[in-house]
Amino acid sequence: MELIWLIPAFPVLGFVLLAALGRRIGDPGAGALGTLAVVGSFAASVAVALTLAQEPEGSRQVTQTLWAWIPADSFQVSFGLLADELSLMMCLFITGVGALIHVYAIGYMKGDPDYARFFTYLNLFIASMLLLVLGDNLILTFLGWEGVGACSYLLISFWFTEPANASAGKKAFVTNRIGDFGYMLGTFLVFVTFGTIDYLQIDQAAPGVSAGTATAIALLFFLAATGKSAQLPLFVWLPDAMAGPTPVSALIHAATMVTSGVFLLTRLSPILEAAGWANDLIAWVGAITALLAAGAAVAQNDIKKVLAYSTVSQLGFMFIAIGSQNYVGALFHMITHAFFKALLFLGAGAVIYSMAHEQDMRRYGQLRRYLPVTFATMFIGWLAISGIPPFSGFWSKDEILAGSFQVQPAGQLLWVAGIIAAVLTAFYMTRLMLMTFAGGTEQWRTPAAESLPEVPGDDHTDDHTDAHAGAHDDHHAHHLTPEHNPKDAPVIMLAPLVILAVFAALAGLLNLPFADQLHFLDHWVEPVLEGQSGLPSAAVQWGLALVSIVGALLGVWFSWRVYQQHRVDRAKLEQPVLAHAWYIDDSYARVAGGPGEAAFQGLADFDHEVVDGAVRGVGGVTQQAGEAVRGIQTGFVRSYAFGIGIGAVALVLFAVVRMSL
Amino acid sequence: MSGPSVLAAALQDVLIEPAPGFEVPSIDWAGIAPNLILMLGSILLLTVVSVLKRRVPSWFAPVWTISAAVAAGCAVVPLWQRFADTGPETLVGGAVGLDGFSLFATVVVCIAVVFVALLLADYLPRESLESPEWYVLVLLSASGAVTMASADDLIVLFVGLEILSVAAYVMTAMHRRRVTSQEAGLKYFVLGAFSSAFLLYGIALTYGATGSTNLAEIQAFLAGDVVTQNALLLGGLAFMLVGLGFKVGAVPFHSWAPDVYQGAPTPISGYMAGAVKLGAFAALLRVFVVAFGPAYRQEWQPLVAVLAVLSLVVGAFAAISQTNVKRMLAYSSINHAGFILLGVLAASAAGTESALFYLLAYTFMAAGSFAVVTVVGRTGEHRQSLEDYRGLASVRPGLALVFTVLLLSQAGVPLTVGFLAKLYVVTAAVESGFDWVAVVAMLTAVVSAFMYLRIVATMYFADAPEGAPALRIPAATGVALGLSVVGVLLLGIVPGPVSDWANEAVAQLVVAAP
Amino acid sequence: MRVEVFTFLVAGAICVGGALGVVLFRNPVHNALSLVATLFGVAVLFIAQEAYFLAAIQVIVYAGAIVILFLFVIMLLGVDQAEAIERDPFRLRRTITVLGGAVLLAGSVAILLAAGQRTTGREAATAPLDPAVPDVERLGRAIFTDYVFAFEITALLLTVAVVGAVVLTRRSTGTPIDLEEFPDGSAYDVWVSDHPGALVDEDTADADADADGEDGSGDDATDTGDADGQDDESADSEVTS
Repeated sequence: MELIWLIPAFPVLGFVLLAALGRRIGDPGAGALGTLAVVGSFAASVAVALTLAQEPEGSRQVTQTLWAWIPADSFQVSFGLLADELSLMMCLFITGVGALIHVYAIGYMKGDPDYARFFTYLNLFIASMLLLVLGDNLILTFLGWEGVGACSYLLISFWFTEPANASAGKKAFVTNRIGDFGYMLGTFLVFVTFGTIDYLQIDQAAPGVSAGTATAIALLFFLAATGKSAQLPLFVWLPDAMAGPTPVSALIHAATMVTSGVFLLTRLSPILEAAGWANDLIAWVGAITALLAAGAAVAQNDIKKVLAYSTVSQLGFMFIAIGSQNYVGALFHMITHAFFKALLFLGAGAVIYSMAHEQDMRRYGQLRRYLPVTFATMFIGWLAISGIPPFSGFWSKDEILAGSFQVQPAGQLLWVAGIIAAVLTAFYMTRLMLMTFAGGTEQWRTPAAESLPEVPGDDHTDDHTDAHAGAHDDHHAHHLTPEHNPKDAPVIMLAPLVILAVFAALAGLLNLPFADQLHFLDHWVEPVLEGQSGLPSAAVQWGLALVSIVGALLGVWFSWRVYQQHRVDRAKLEQPVLAHAWYIDDSYARVAGGPGEAAFQGLADFDHEVVDGAVRGVGGVTQQAGEAVRGIQTGFVRSYAFGIGIGAVALVLFAVVRMSL
Repeated sequence: MSGPSVLAAALQDVLIEPAPGFEVPSIDWAGIAPNLILMLGSILLLTVVSVLKRRVPSWFAPVWTISAAVAAGCAVVPLWQRFADTGPETLVGGAVGLDGFSLFATVVVCIAVVFVALLLADYLPRESLESPEWYVLVLLSASGAVTMASADDLIVLFVGLEILSVAAYVMTAMHRRRVTSQEAGLKYFVLGAFSSAFLLYGIALTYGATGSTNLAEIQAFLAGDVVTQNALLLGGLAFMLVGLGFKVGAVPFHSWAPDVYQGAPTPISGYMAGAVKLGAFAALLRVFVVAFGPAYRQEWQPLVAVLAVLSLVVGAFAAISQTNVKRMLAYSSINHAGFILLGVLAASAAGTESALFYLLAYTFMAAGSFAVVTVVGRTGEHRQSLEDYRGLASVRPGLALVFTVLLLSQAGVPLTVGFLAKLYVVTAAVESGFDWVAVVAMLTAVVSAFMYLRIVATMYFADAPEGAPALRIPAATGVALGLSVVGVLLLGIVPGPVSDWANEAVAQLVVAAP
Repeated sequence: MRVEVFTFLVAGAICVGGALGVVLFRNPVHNALSLVATLFGVAVLFIAQEAYFLAAIQVIVYAGAIVILFLFVIMLLGVDQAEAIERDPFRLRRTITVLGGAVLLAGSVAILLAAGQRTTGREAATAPLDPAVPDVERLGRAIFTDYVFAFEITALLLTVAVVGAVVLTRRSTGTPIDLEEFPDGSAYDVWVSDHPGALVDEDTADADADADGEDGSGDDATDTGDADGQDDESADSEVTS
């Protein structure tokens, strides 16, 4: 039990060692060291989890206070780690999936000039993520929250050496900052309301809180979550974040970091329980995000972008679950999603690796002949995400949909939205598989591949890949020639794929709906969660499950008709509006670049405006004024004195107003 | 009787024996030892170098300065013991306070002096400006800051402020070969004189209203009597706020700060951000919180709240649009001043404690940040633009890392001292019922983080331009950088001892808010 | 009318008139002489309150020594012609400044009037002083008891001033090194003017680099009473137009 601190200590140690010695150890020593640190952390997590499991249910909460961090009287914060069912579950899958992705990255990043730096960042990321989930108070979680954000920023921009391409990292940063507003204000409100920011104390005090306050807190933290977990309206950064190396996409932008919003809301479930309509908002934002992102995924041609929009969509499912107070469903889907999406990303990475770093699916085709292992593992991932039983995705998605069905009000509508999103999921994933591994021809061998039109709205990605290719060594460069003969990636990359495939297939066992004894996950996290709502009756569940299976098959079938049999013109489906992700990003850009920029500039000039702007604004014609002062020596000292004088006048006037007569 | 003893007796009559009915206040030399060490240090240094001239080795002045600062810091220790045993006292006829507050502030000033001496030791040879007067002025201004922080009398406070300010004006203009330095010095001087006039007028009005310039007497007077007409007092408060607001760089009295910080020799900019701000804030706290706090809090709190909000907002937003790094840091110092004003605004023990802690934290952050700017600026300080920081991480990874830590701390990222400092002041403001100001503060913290991280991003994600010059980090500057980072991280991770100390420092000084 | 009131009004008028003269005259010599008038008026006020010693000091030190020093400097530097002070081209700012000054004045007067008969809160301080004790002694007592610390550390202030004066007037050891920020080189005059200089916010930095180059002679820097003329935007347009 005293070993909790070891869990984050391993990656911290790894980070320090790599930062200090990384360059000297080099390739592949640095990778091995980084991996070892995460494996050690995983072992520690397992050990702690086993010890915890031996405790009787209800007392599986251990706080290890490392030191009193902020010892002020009224506001005490300790640097404490809280190990309970929820945090350990998170630790296990973060370190587990993290270790596999580290192993994969040893192969993927081979020969990269910044090999050691990559693993340094990756270890720092794992450490921050563990701190995020293990922290026993909101501030410590915030520390991890900022840490993972910073690492994500660093890793997205990992290959960015041209300033023009920093926009993806910048976008991630800006949207996450908006979320941070929510987090900070939420923490503040929690402190004002409860007088503490300690999770355990919040849990105790939460039932007494008024609905209005709880709603406000929930909304603020939800704003934070929309930033980190890429929900409407802040999801725009995630697709662009795909510019980073693929292992990063798998680890940060699919499996772990983006789920931290879900984790945060689950952690605060006692407050959410009292939050009233905030829950409905969360569920509906989740549903709409799931729908819109699934729609956008249909029209992407960059393989990683499909997966990125898919991630946004799947995260939407988790928020549906949160909003319908089905936290177990959210956690369940978080875990299964971590497995199958990491698998799909790593698989996509293996494809990209084999195809000379080409990411455009229109240049793929028939790859199953060349990449049998990649194909086999991704096939399992595809089944899992499409919701085909008995693969894991089916069980978790089904639980979410079942939970949403009985939300009041309009739960059925929520369910319908979820089903449509699920059908779309099956459709676009099948499209991805067909375009990559099947299809009639090996597209890169056809002359048309050379002159493919750029996809509208994809220009960002292309810029990024080009830049990364251009600035990077030739190992990562585009030179997909018609003579290219793809072959499977090395074993060190395939092994994690195989392991993840096994989990993606079987993770459903965690929480099978058939009998109460099979709800392992339910029982494990139950003590942590407040206000977990039940699921509909078994008969209804069966009915709903049947509909979703049919829906998934429908999606697969239709996709087959379009992309394999070419019965339907794909251009009719892949509308520009979808390729542009409903123009949401563009409209942000337009607002931010137009009126937003102007407003910002106005604020930035505020300082000058105060003193000089008044003159300019009222006096009008700047040009004339400029003419008038030509040749006259004027200075700013008086301008400053003017400002000070005006301030003094204001203060004195205040005194005059306040004096008693 | 021998000749000498007659002479001695006569001297005693003339010099020591006062006129009848004339009670000379006893001077507790030990009690003002830290300040005396700084004063004598500067005077001795001036004497030694003017007598020995060129025979003084170049290392002598910085070493002397650091020794004086360290000695003054050490002299605080026995006094602290005395304060802990007997509580706050007032010395030299009620002019100088010996209390935890002044002792804490003294230590912070000494830290700032050590930093600036380390930086100057490398900066002056680089710029061919070597002369011992820099160090003389540093020590003198430090003495002025200590005087302000321990002033129990408005006149003492004013003289301390002038010592501090005049030395700062001169040092700002002392880069004789940079026209911008001289321009900054002139601007600072003119505007400083302008604001001093306001302060003096405020002191006069306050004296008129209360019949005393002694802070303890003012407090007692206000506690015991209800003035039938508060006009003079309010006018005095308003005018004093103008004068002190100018010195702390609060909006709308901030306009000098960007120009002066940019134009001043960079180590001096860092020193001003540390010691000058500290002196001014200490004065603000003593006058407003201690003397006028208990009885007149409601009258000045709205004013300070407005200043705080304006400083926070203008500092954060104006900083974003800058491309000159020194100027950015100047605007960020305005934003920081807004935060510290939150501590003043609280008008409580917690508020004063948090302001002290913030000032300590900011001294470290500012010294380190301006040290980086000094290094990057190279000879002549031509490289101040954000462009010049492009790709710093690949040219000097260590320097970039240090700057990153310092900037993150200024942005208020957890595990750095900046975060705790912000947290304390915000908490204190909330406890005193200024929730809305606290919210504004937090929002501007996020806004100003843009600016800090923009610098970080430039260092890490932009290519170093072709032919970027190599940067040399001299030994003393390296020590200063190391100290600042260690301070920022250590205080950020284990703030307990220091914040406890700040807590004790104000425990018996300020009347707590009800 | 009582003599005190009459004296006060006359001396006050001299003070105010002198102060206005300092600000408004264009010839520096006239400015300095106006200052003498103000200082003299203050001395008369001291006499009216029977502070003869202070009055004497006021005349000897300020009028006799300091202003004479000013005049020396003015004469030696040869700036004893009328300065080319233009009026602030921004009528609005001029108006605001005048209005602001008026409000400040009105506010101060209101504060003083509101305080009424008893300007000092403490009875003891308003009680008549013992005429038997000469004012030199009273002054000495105050300086060497309550204000002994302030009095002593004034020495420090003087030291700072002397060191600063010596340092800043010492001949520079080389040519200016940031003149490229001042394209036509005449910007050294910034030292004696309140030129916008190189130190302005970015959005106008380019323009100012040029504007700095323009002829550097300027009006008296301490002349804050006259309103300022140029804002940064107009500096922009000035250069571009």
